[in-house]
Amino acid sequence: MTDRRPTAFSDVTDERLRTLFDEESYVADDHVVTTVLLALRLGKPLLVEGEPGAGKTELAKVLAAGFDAELVRLQCYEGLTAENALYEWNYTKQLLAVQASDDDASVFSEEFLLERPLLRALRGGSPPPVLLIDEVDRADEEFEALLLEVLSDFQVSVPELGTIRAETPPIVVITSNRTRALSDALKRRCLFLHVSPPSFEKERAILERKVPALDGAVATELCAMAKRLREEPLRKPPGAAETIDWARAVAALRAENDDPLTPEEIHETLGCLLKEVEDVERVDESLLETLVEAAADARAEVTP
Amino acid sequence: MNPDGANRDDRSSNGQDRGVTVPDVPAFRAARDHVRDELVRFVRALRRADVAVPANAGPTAARALVEVGFDDEATARTALRACLISDAEDMSTFDRKFSEFWRRLTAGLDLDGPAPRWDDGPEGTLAPMHENATDDEPETNASETADHPDADPETNPVAASATLDAVVADSEPDVDADTVERSWVSPTGRRTRVSESVGIGPVDWLATAFDKLTRGLATLRGRRWRPGDERADVRRSLRSSIGTGGTIVSLPRRDREPDAVRAVWFVDVSRSVLDTIDRSFLLGTLRRARTEWRDCRIVLFDESARDVSEAFDESTAAAALDALDRAETEWGGGTRIGESLADFLADTPGAFDRRTVVFVVSDGLETGDADALEGALAPLSRRTAGIVWLNPLAVASKYEPRADGMASALPFIDGLFAFGGPNDLAEVGRQLRRHGLGGRIGYEYDPRRGVSEARRNDV
Repeated sequence: MTDRRPTAFSDVTDERLRTLFDEESYVADDHVVTTVLLALRLGKPLLVEGEPGAGKTELAKVLAAGFDAELVRLQCYEGLTAENALYEWNYTKQLLAVQASDDDASVFSEEFLLERPLLRALRGGSPPPVLLIDEVDRADEEFEALLLEVLSDFQVSVPELGTIRAETPPIVVITSNRTRALSDALKRRCLFLHVSPPSFEKERAILERKVPALDGAVATELCAMAKRLREEPLRKPPGAAETIDWARAVAALRAENDDPLTPEEIHETLGCLLKEVEDVERVDESLLETLVEAAADARAEVTP
Repeated sequence: MNPDGANRDDRSSNGQDRGVTVPDVPAFRAARDHVRDELVRFVRALRRADVAVPANAGPTAARALVEVGFDDEATARTALRACLISDAEDMSTFDRKFSEFWRRLTAGLDLDGPAPRWDDGPEGTLAPMHENATDDEPETNASETADHPDADPETNPVAASATLDAVVADSEPDVDADTVERSWVSPTGRRTRVSESVGIGPVDWLATAFDKLTRGLATLRGRRWRPGDERADVRRSLRSSIGTGGTIVSLPRRDREPDAVRAVWFVDVSRSVLDTIDRSFLLGTLRRARTEWRDCRIVLFDESARDVSEAFDESTAAAALDALDRAETEWGGGTRIGESLADFLADTPGAFDRRTVVFVVSDGLETGDADALEGALAPLSRRTAGIVWLNPLAVASKYEPRADGMASALPFIDGLFAFGGPNDLAEVGRQLRRHGLGGRIGYEYDPRRGVSEARRNDV
């Protein structure tokens, strides 16, 4: 059992967090607010799972911006090693130092240490940084083992230097798309947050904040169509991020026009929403007609 | 946990550790103990329901509750969910159990003090609060809480009213078959039967249990790669060599991740077994094994063996039922397990290889020669991935494998399990997933063993 470490966010309140999300235009459900609040107060890493485009990465960015903290991002991929994530020695500099120096000064000192994201996050200043370990399921299982010491004790052991410990733990957000199961050891060190695809109302609120240039009725149409499309057996169902892209594209194309979307406009911009050619091809005339109907119904509900 | 027990000392020290002034008044202590007790019970109940609750989750959950308070159920639910589960698939189980936990927790925090309750036992089952419950009642009430397909048909009309077709058929039941009338005694209200129409529970239970079994058994290679020993992983080798200036200092290896099952089911259809086992459950299991596993053979036997795999390929449950009926009428008599296995082994040697898992469904009451059984199982255990023996008699909490056939078979089998309902199947899957075929598995490691039949069904 690890000791509780002092956190810089133990006095964060629910209201403060909601205000922060509002200021950063991040639409967060109650369960997201509560879970993030707990992660901050308890000083535990937050493991966020959910479909791609559900706003997992954005959550870390928003926290960093809201707390005016540095965002340290570690993008995971297959083959990610400790050298890429933790630290490595500057071999070239060490070699030059050995050749140029007459004394026996060690070349394993701070001077020759290259910080990588994890170490940088642990040595961050005040306020402590937000460490985003993105798509951890893409990394190998061996890499997960490397994270264990960092996540439980917020420290790293460098054999030549000793243990480097964070004075104040960073905010840690780990995201996973669930392409593989994570180890129990990793999961038990984290609080768990599952981000579901946004509801119609939530998606509408997101568009209102993220794409203010878009007319409200048109945004409603887009959300209704995105919702309808998610009911189809798509290879890659659109997430909130795709809906935002779509809304931005439509806003850029239409300027001030707030007329209902035409089938042609929908068809021409669908590529912003659907990222698989099979999904785009699935939208035939019949489905397009259904989408237009869904959009019209939604518009009728919000316009007097 | 006894609220007045020895834990009181460390409670006060905990409070000091956190630098919080803890009121040392009896009412506060009682409330604190109540919260702690309920939380421990809740965690145990989740684990019993096969939710992988991390080992250190309890203290974290307690701290989370302190942070968010007890005013709002939704907030507390979110807080505990963040701490206690780590898999989105467990959310529905969590939500189901949480309602009961919250009701008990808040009832106990009334100003009048913790509400009376019967003993929940150390297993952590969340026994419902019951105003009129007395110490001698839980067994009866729990057995009547027919939220389980294995319950006695007389007390659980689900089991009684679910038709064999409903259990066996897995393809688009007709509209009428979509719902069954289920009824049970309300655990919290009047002691009268209530009823409602719901989806067919037993099919869902069996499907869930069977999925767990499948996940625990996969021996055949799938398409996905994982770190392993089969062949060199060139891509990872090249990537890692970048960090060492192009020199390959280590050679990562990989192999295919197993995700499919090859199995042979030997099913004892002697009268003694058929009288004991729930035939609809047996047929449902075999039918799923045949349709969902990549390679599965089904062999019925009593005095000789007969491969009836193709009967289970029929689109209707009736064909499978006919096969079982034919087997019984043709052979129904004694059980010669050893000779049946030996004959089948000799006739179809190609049915087994190192990736084949052999299931034997039998009560082990061998009427033939026990040496013949040993002689058949010995080569089978050498040539296959493992032998799992499913015994309908092992459902009994005091069961011991003392029958001649069973005792002779024990040295050659990897695990002996109870086989009475979907929960037993799920338990096999759980143990296999956790410990593997070569691990310490079997009915003796079943956490439900020793608990009452009612709780066994409940958990």
